[in-house]
Amino acid sequence: MSWRRWNYVLHRDIGFLCIGLTLLYAISGVAVNHIKEWNPSYSVERVETNVGPVVGNPADAATALMILARLGEPGKLESSYRPDRNSLQLFVEGRSITVDLPSGHVVHDRAIPRPVLREMNFLHLNHPKKAWTWFADLYAVALAFLAVSGLFMLRRDTLRRGLILTGIGVVIPVFFLFLYL
Amino acid sequence: MRTFLVVILLVAMFSPVTAFAKDFGKGVSLSEETAISSILDTPADYVGKKVKVSGLIIDVCSKRGCWIYLAGDRDFEKIRIKVTDGEIVFPMEARGKVATVEGVVESMVLTREEVIKRRKHHAEEKGVAFDPATVTSGETVLRIRGLGASIDGV
Repeated sequence: MSWRRWNYVLHRDIGFLCIGLTLLYAISGVAVNHIKEWNPSYSVERVETNVGPVVGNPADAATALMILARLGEPGKLESSYRPDRNSLQLFVEGRSITVDLPSGHVVHDRAIPRPVLREMNFLHLNHPKKAWTWFADLYAVALAFLAVSGLFMLRRDTLRRGLILTGIGVVIPVFFLFLYL
Repeated sequence: MRTFLVVILLVAMFSPVTAFAKDFGKGVSLSEETAISSILDTPADYVGKKVKVSGLIIDVCSKRGCWIYLAGDRDFEKIRIKVTDGEIVFPMEARGKVATVEGVVESMVLTREEVIKRRKHHAEEKGVAFDPATVTSGETVLRIRGLGASIDGV
C-alpha cells in the first residue's frame, strides 16, 4: 500500500476515533469560555425565605432540626456551623441553609450539577488527572496527526485553496496575539 | 451486538460522573495536625510553614472549585484554603463535609482597593450584592495555599 493510501486510512480511522472527544471538548470549550458570565458546571440557586425568629441554643441539634422542620426540609442534617452569634449555617445533602436567628431570614443555597455538561467539563478541564491525563495527551497527538495528515491529502485541484485556508487558520491566532499580547 | 454497543455507548455518555477522588492534589502526608485557632491566634508562628488542618467545609468556590473555607475549631472562626486553578478542583458537594488539608500558611497585606476588588470578585462568584462603601480600610488576610486535601464522603 502506498504512503498516500496509509495516510488516507489513518486520517479516516483516527478521525472517527476522535469524533466523540472532539465534540466533548468543543461543547465544553464554549461552556467554560464564558465562565465569567455563567457557571458551566453547576446551576446555583439562591432562595430567600423567613421561618420566623429562632429561639433556643444554636449549638443544639434540636434547634437545627426545628429550623429544618419549619422549612419543610426533608433532607438529613449533615452538619452545622456558626458564622457569628446571630447566624447558623446548616448543611443538608450538599446544600447550605443560612439562618439569621433573630429575624428568621433564611438563605438557601443549592448547587445543582448541570447534567452531561458538568461531566464534559470534568474531563475537558482534566479534573480526574491520573490516567485521563495520558489519554487526553494521546488525543492531542491524534489531533495534531489529523491536522498534518490532512495537508498531505490535498489534491492538485484543491492545493491552492487548501494552502490559503490553512494560512488563514494560522494567521488568525497570530493576529489576536498581536492584538492582545 | 450492534444494539448492545449502542446501549453501552449511550450509558457511558449520559451516566453522571459521581466518583470524585477522595484525595485531591498531593493528598495529605504530614502526621501532626495544627488547630486552625492556633494559626489565627499566632499567625507569625506559621506564615511560610507547611501545616495540616482539618475542619468542616462551609463554602466552596462555585465556579472553579479553587477555594474552600474551613470552619475553625472554635465558634465563629474560619480560614480560607486557596488552591491553584485547575490543579485541585473542589466539588460543590463538598460543602458540609469534613476535610483535612495540607498547605502553606500565607499572610497578605491588602490595600483598601485590593480588599474591594477581592470582595467584589467573591460577591460576583456567589451572585450576591456588594457595596464597596462597606470597606473602610485595608486588611491583612491569612490563608492557606492548599497543596493537597482529603475529604470524607465526596
